[in-house]
Amino acid sequence: MNLKLKSPISTAIAIGVGVVVLLGYFFGGDPAGELTTLGLLRDFLLQGAIVWAAVAMLVGIANLASVHLGKVRADEEGSFSFILLLSLIITLGVGLYDIIKTHTDQQLNFQRTSWIFNYIQLPIETSLMAVLAVSLTYAAVRLLTRRLNLLSAVFIGVVLMLLIGAVPQVAALAPLFAEIRNWILQIPTMAGARGILLGVALGTIATGIRILTGGDRPYRG
Amino acid sequence: MTISGLIGLAFILVFSGLIILFTATGRGRFEANLRRIPAFARLRRAIGLAVEAGSRLHISIGRGNLTSPESAVAFVGLSALEGMIRSASTGDNPPIATTGDASLAILVRDALSGTYRDIGNIEQYDPTTGQLAGFTPFSYAVGTLPAVQDEKTTAHILIGHFGSEVALITDAGERSGNLTLAGTDNLPAQAILYATAQEPLIGEEVYASGAYLRAGPMHIASLKAQDIFRWGLILVIIAGVLLKIAGLDQAIVDMFGGLL
Repeated sequence: MNLKLKSPISTAIAIGVGVVVLLGYFFGGDPAGELTTLGLLRDFLLQGAIVWAAVAMLVGIANLASVHLGKVRADEEGSFSFILLLSLIITLGVGLYDIIKTHTDQQLNFQRTSWIFNYIQLPIETSLMAVLAVSLTYAAVRLLTRRLNLLSAVFIGVVLMLLIGAVPQVAALAPLFAEIRNWILQIPTMAGARGILLGVALGTIATGIRILTGGDRPYRG
Repeated sequence: MTISGLIGLAFILVFSGLIILFTATGRGRFEANLRRIPAFARLRRAIGLAVEAGSRLHISIGRGNLTSPESAVAFVGLSALEGMIRSASTGDNPPIATTGDASLAILVRDALSGTYRDIGNIEQYDPTTGQLAGFTPFSYAVGTLPAVQDEKTTAHILIGHFGSEVALITDAGERSGNLTLAGTDNLPAQAILYATAQEPLIGEEVYASGAYLRAGPMHIASLKAQDIFRWGLILVIIAGVLLKIAGLDQAIVDMFGGLL
């Protein structure tokens, strides 16, 4: 077997933690519903992982800042990177101010941070969602020119049928059309989705087992 | 422990046993039996062309959270990244990797530096080639666009957890005229990728990436084990349908329902 035990300590820790968490799911509770030692250990490890993920966010911000600082220095798309860094600093400053204000006033005071989220972040993301709708329509048309086969034709046909059938007036004028639409949604779509999900579940289990046995190591140590 | 828990544990133990057995006895013997997936054939050609032309590959491993089941497909993306670095190590421009999750970004940089170290080419490792593109779905998609639009990049591989925002990335890839190969675990995103990516990976195909990119014999062994379990599930589903037709389904539920 190709076990890449180049860092035996980190591999042993990763496998050990993985096995404990996995067994914790099966033997984590007694018949009375109380957590067993294994269950408590599983929860402790999972909580630790959540804390580490939060710490990783700080590292991520540093990574984002360093990449864009490098771009500003190299003058490679520097203006966008400069705006990103400036936004980062302003948001960080506003957030810190709100935290200090909350502590000094002894009450929650995140109005400024909320303002940034509600009036800058949210409208931008909503605009992108609108762009997405246009992109998807364009992609559907392009699919017919790029990959014209039976599956693509069925794909586009079903998408159009479901979209048209979603209009309330169409359902009122053509009840049979609405029934066919509902049948497509409930029978073939559900069957296909469940089939794909079974494949995804098997793939997820296989990936987990490869990592638990050390055959696949997404970490180096 | 409930009966369903016991069945789950037995399922995992048998699955693990089969993977270990096939890895120990197979040693890549099954590689020739792999179903032909055109996407991976095109990817291998794209890697070769990138090395020859001195261009760059871009891989994005999505925004799956490490503490959720979405991380599995991200790990597949990391295996693919490792495989591509090894294949493209002789090229002038090292592959670039983007992600939308902070903990995944750490793993990406770890995978990049570790793989370059393994192949004895650590001087080619550039820390800025592993990038966290953004924290929210759309900021991640928009943050990935500069890597997609980079003139030096000739192929985009998206393997990980994505939502509908992936259409922005694949659309930019399509406009750049480069190969876009994409696969995810998310069903709505799979439908979007079918329409927008040049080479979409549907269903469990994305989990086969490691086997097709020669990430190790265990990847091929796990495909074999998945096939066995898939046939098992098909038989169970057919048995369920036959029992339903025969009107025996309720009797079976009454018999075993209390145990589960």
